[in-house]
Amino acid sequence: MRIVPLITLITIILSIHSAPGQTLNSSGRIIDDGRFAAATKQVNQFFRRFNAEESKDGTIRYLPGDENYHNEELRKSFINILFDNETSDVSNELKREFINHVVSDTYPQFLNFHGGEWFSEVNTVFNYNGKRQDVVLFLKLQPQGLGYEWVIENVSFEPFTAAFDKPTGDDKKFLHPLSHELGFMNLRKAIVENPKPESYTPDGYEPDYLTLFLYEIKNERLKFVTVKDTKFHFFQIDNWYFELSQFNRPGFNTGWLIANLMKLDDGDKQIILNYIYDRN
Amino acid sequence: MKKYIPSLLIFFLATSISVFAQDDSISPQRKQAIDSLALEKVKDLSKYISIIGSKETQFSEATRVMDRAEELFAPDAEMGVSSINTNEIAYYKIRRYFERLMALNYDRVNISWYDIHYISDLERQPDGRYVGVITIYQRFEGTSQEAGLNYRDTTKKDITIYVEKKQTQISGRTIEFWDVLLGDVRVTETSA
Repeated sequence: MRIVPLITLITIILSIHSAPGQTLNSSGRIIDDGRFAAATKQVNQFFRRFNAEESKDGTIRYLPGDENYHNEELRKSFINILFDNETSDVSNELKREFINHVVSDTYPQFLNFHGGEWFSEVNTVFNYNGKRQDVVLFLKLQPQGLGYEWVIENVSFEPFTAAFDKPTGDDKKFLHPLSHELGFMNLRKAIVENPKPESYTPDGYEPDYLTLFLYEIKNERLKFVTVKDTKFHFFQIDNWYFELSQFNRPGFNTGWLIANLMKLDDGDKQIILNYIYDRN
Repeated sequence: MKKYIPSLLIFFLATSISVFAQDDSISPQRKQAIDSLALEKVKDLSKYISIIGSKETQFSEATRVMDRAEELFAPDAEMGVSSINTNEIAYYKIRRYFERLMALNYDRVNISWYDIHYISDLERQPDGRYVGVITIYQRFEGTSQEAGLNYRDTTKKDITIYVEKKQTQISGRTIEFWDVLLGDVRVTETSA
């Protein structure tokens, strides 16, 4: 019989431990212990914090003309907490350099929702020919009608990438330069007997995966299953790139946070874009 | 919807003459009024979810409340649910989500809400309507008599709101007002 109070005690201790700081207020609501307040709950909040357009607790919106709107000190303290400090490998030195760059006295830089130079990477699952496969969609925001819309700008899908592998050098088949004299009769051999018809495309040929993606959906070979996760790539800050990801974990460093930060030299942007789009 | 028209009109007539411009842009003052109205609808949704999820609610009453809750939403609105274990989204039509909630096999269900919410800016869509997102947090506790407390989770709910200017006739006068409808809801289990 002594076991019963012991179990009760353990249950109480465990329940307190599993819900730290969670008490009810007079209206029966659970009082947040600060974790949800600290979390960057929406991408919108990331923008507002980055620009110092709201109060620290997020309850007051600062608008142009407000004393604290775009306040330099507030921005510094906000941007400091907008980094993933638990899993990402961004050095403190690089963070400091970035913060000094965007919160500069002479040329402060802000994020602009409609300013372009940022896009979304959405990891999705489709059934392709009856098999579950990951498809990465890249979406951007564009003006449309009376407002804005997200549109699919690019697609990365392994079966498409694997299907286009243009050989180079001696491995590359070709249509000889007098094919025209024979009415291109050698097209039969070129296309039927060579599994890589992309060999006969011009230099610089890039397959249009988005068109293929839409075509396969229309032909019902590619069927949407679900969305897995989303992240964002920002090139809006001059000479800098950062990746914004969502972190759902215990603690105070959660929500939408900068997961990757890079300073860009000439040509780096294209290298990063090629990497993101999984292009060679 | 009927329930909201008087409050909407009071809300907006009281401020529209002095504050609201004739165009379709949304001033900060109007945004605040819209936020309050949207929050009111979200609170109603929270209340309805608690009633639907409670085992003490009779079937007929739960059905009536589901009808009321559905009226808060735009047609075709969906719930997208993911858990800690799988980040893949499972999709449910709003009605189906409520029916699943009602059918949960707990003797006692307690749904409570955190005292924190976050409201995004309103962005205009191509069709001229405005869209925003309200984020709230909910704790769910399901108790079964045999096993004691056997399930608890905390979810983040990101709720789409659609804001549209509408017209109504009062005593022969055409009155414009802004209406709010809820849209898709993303439900994410959190680690809290």
